[in-house]
Amino acid sequence: MRSLGISVLSLTLTTIVIANAYYQKKQFYPSVVYITKSNPSMAVIYIQAFICVLIVGKIMRKIFFGQLRSAEFEHLMERSWYAITETCLAFTVFRDDFNPKFVALFTLLLFLKSFHWLAEDRVDYMERSPVISLLFHIRVLSLLLLLGSLDLHFIQHAYQSTVSKGASVQLVFGFEYAILLTVVINIAIKYALHSVDLNSETPWDNKAVFLLYTELIMGFIKVILYVAFVAIMVRIYTLPLFAFRPMYYTIRNFKKAFSDVILSRRAIYNMNTLYPDATPEELQAADNVCIICREEMTTASKKLPCNHIFHTSCLRSWFQRQQTCPTCRLNILRTPTSNNNEPRQDQRHRQVPPPNPFFNPFGGQNPFQMFGQNNQPQPQAQPAAAGAPSGAQNATNAPQANPNIPPFVFPPFPFMPFMAPPPMPPPNLQSLSPEELRRMEGNERQNVEARIQCLRNIQVMLDAAVVMMQQYSAAAALSSQAPGGEPQPGPSTSGTPPTCNGTTPKSPINLPTSSVINNNVESDSVPSTSTSSETPEATPTESVALTPEEEVRRRRLQKFQQAAEQ
Amino acid sequence: MAGSALRRLMAEYKQLTLNPPEGIIAGPINEENFFEWEALITGPEGTCFEGGVFPAKLIFPPDYPLSPPKMQFTCEMFHPNIYADGRVCISILHAPGDDPMGYESSAERWSPVQSVEKILLSVVSMLAEPNDESGANVDAAKMWRENREEFNRIAERIVRRTLGIPT
Repeated sequence: MRSLGISVLSLTLTTIVIANAYYQKKQFYPSVVYITKSNPSMAVIYIQAFICVLIVGKIMRKIFFGQLRSAEFEHLMERSWYAITETCLAFTVFRDDFNPKFVALFTLLLFLKSFHWLAEDRVDYMERSPVISLLFHIRVLSLLLLLGSLDLHFIQHAYQSTVSKGASVQLVFGFEYAILLTVVINIAIKYALHSVDLNSETPWDNKAVFLLYTELIMGFIKVILYVAFVAIMVRIYTLPLFAFRPMYYTIRNFKKAFSDVILSRRAIYNMNTLYPDATPEELQAADNVCIICREEMTTASKKLPCNHIFHTSCLRSWFQRQQTCPTCRLNILRTPTSNNNEPRQDQRHRQVPPPNPFFNPFGGQNPFQMFGQNNQPQPQAQPAAAGAPSGAQNATNAPQANPNIPPFVFPPFPFMPFMAPPPMPPPNLQSLSPEELRRMEGNERQNVEARIQCLRNIQVMLDAAVVMMQQYSAAAALSSQAPGGEPQPGPSTSGTPPTCNGTTPKSPINLPTSSVINNNVESDSVPSTSTSSETPEATPTESVALTPEEEVRRRRLQKFQQAAEQ
Repeated sequence: MAGSALRRLMAEYKQLTLNPPEGIIAGPINEENFFEWEALITGPEGTCFEGGVFPAKLIFPPDYPLSPPKMQFTCEMFHPNIYADGRVCISILHAPGDDPMGYESSAERWSPVQSVEKILLSVVSMLAEPNDESGANVDAAKMWRENREEFNRIAERIVRRTLGIPT
């Protein structure tokens, strides 16, 4: 209503000015001269021209857009203010050839720019509305055609004028319209993608990727245009301050598009390599609805390490933003996939029937057989010691490195029942089921609790080992005091932790075993172990020159060598 | 086929219309644009907002549900977790990464698993139990903590106003 009033007022003023001029001069040409010479009259005419432009704009808007949505209008207003400010800055650079024609050209540029913005918003709206009428397509297509041809025309005009008359303000227009042309192309590509998507029966999963690459390429072209423009302007005129803000935004958008493409590629790569496709059975077992798009999963879907299943395309666009499971927020980059582990774990279980040495002091087997067995506590200790999800991988890798390891038998705590009793044995860590392992992966409370429990078990084992070592050194000290006893077997070896690999730790572990079995901390226990495990041929040859202690040690060394060879 | 964001919003609209949760009505303002919704929330029973019907506007981003929508009450509100202009400040509406108040853990942030229904239910429980640690409206948070009677009086006035009853 107000704009109508202003238009009417302006129209009356113009009529009055023209009527007055004609009334005074009576002829066409003298009246025109009179109006152009009189400043107030010209002001009225300029205002009228400006209002005419606005009215044309409104009519064009009605034709091409119909009613503007409020969001579109706000967007337009916001961008217009920046554009007007920048145009005023541009005027300062070209103040020498400031004239009405110049102002008119800038006004036209602004006018066309605003239609580009509106077209952009309108095409984006295609994704938002379920009802896209034929009129919408006709409008968008004709507008894009019109804008594109206008841009081309102005670029051509600017080029010819620059070539024939040298650098002028046309340079600015040339670049501005070139950038607008990239905008038109970008909108056209988006429109084409959206239209194809709208007309296809099935969801088009790769549209997002196409859009990303369009954004990247167009951003790149724009950045090049802006950089070239600024470089040329600096050479010919001065620093084009008015181009800085749009240039900054262009570069920022390009950077964002670039990182988006990288993230997207990484997401696709992870998707294709790390996560298995969900099988139809798994889809059946779950409720078969992708929680991201709330649609049934019939086509490509992926299973994450946490067993949550999603559409491949939904997951890809989410992973572009965040590398977590949408449902349980498991960080998928830090967690090895459990599916790859499962077969290995099963294999290990088959290879290693879980013996429980704690409740099985002798286990029906000769305790000295343990000498021949490779002590392998590492695969047990590591998963819990690492605690973190990565530990699970170590757990599965370690046994693979030595596939021929005989069943692990834990160092014989139970042979020490006569001194301080060892702590309650925890459940055997080696027999961790896949479920237990999976329970330890993740960030939820129960996962953390499971990990803590696992660490506690390890602590109990270590405590038990410490107790055993103390008892052993006590036994060794006693035995060294005993006449004819073994002088220093304990001190030399007692510092070695029982979980070490290799042959050295076996002696301190087994020595007390035998001594305690005999229930008297006497030296004769050691020779008894040696003789029992076939090393008789070592003694006769050199034992003559050796003291009894050295003889004993030599025998034990030989025995270990045999054990290692076995 | 329409975009995935649009399809998901249509699915949620259908779900909300078929099985509306108690005390909540929500839907697009105009069915030509599914990215702007209107919601009516009734104040939870047994709280100072009981009986009120609060209109709010939900604006969805083009990449919904990957990004959270924005929610803004369109009536006058006085609540520790609602800005003076009506914007709602709850962690479920914040994408992981941005933390305006600096107290939220990422576990309670937006994820595509959330939905309009969950948002509105969270808002209902927020009305019942304000979180006075986040000071979207510091005056309201302070009053909630220190002068509950006055807070209740203001809430009651707002409830009456939303119902069109003269105060």
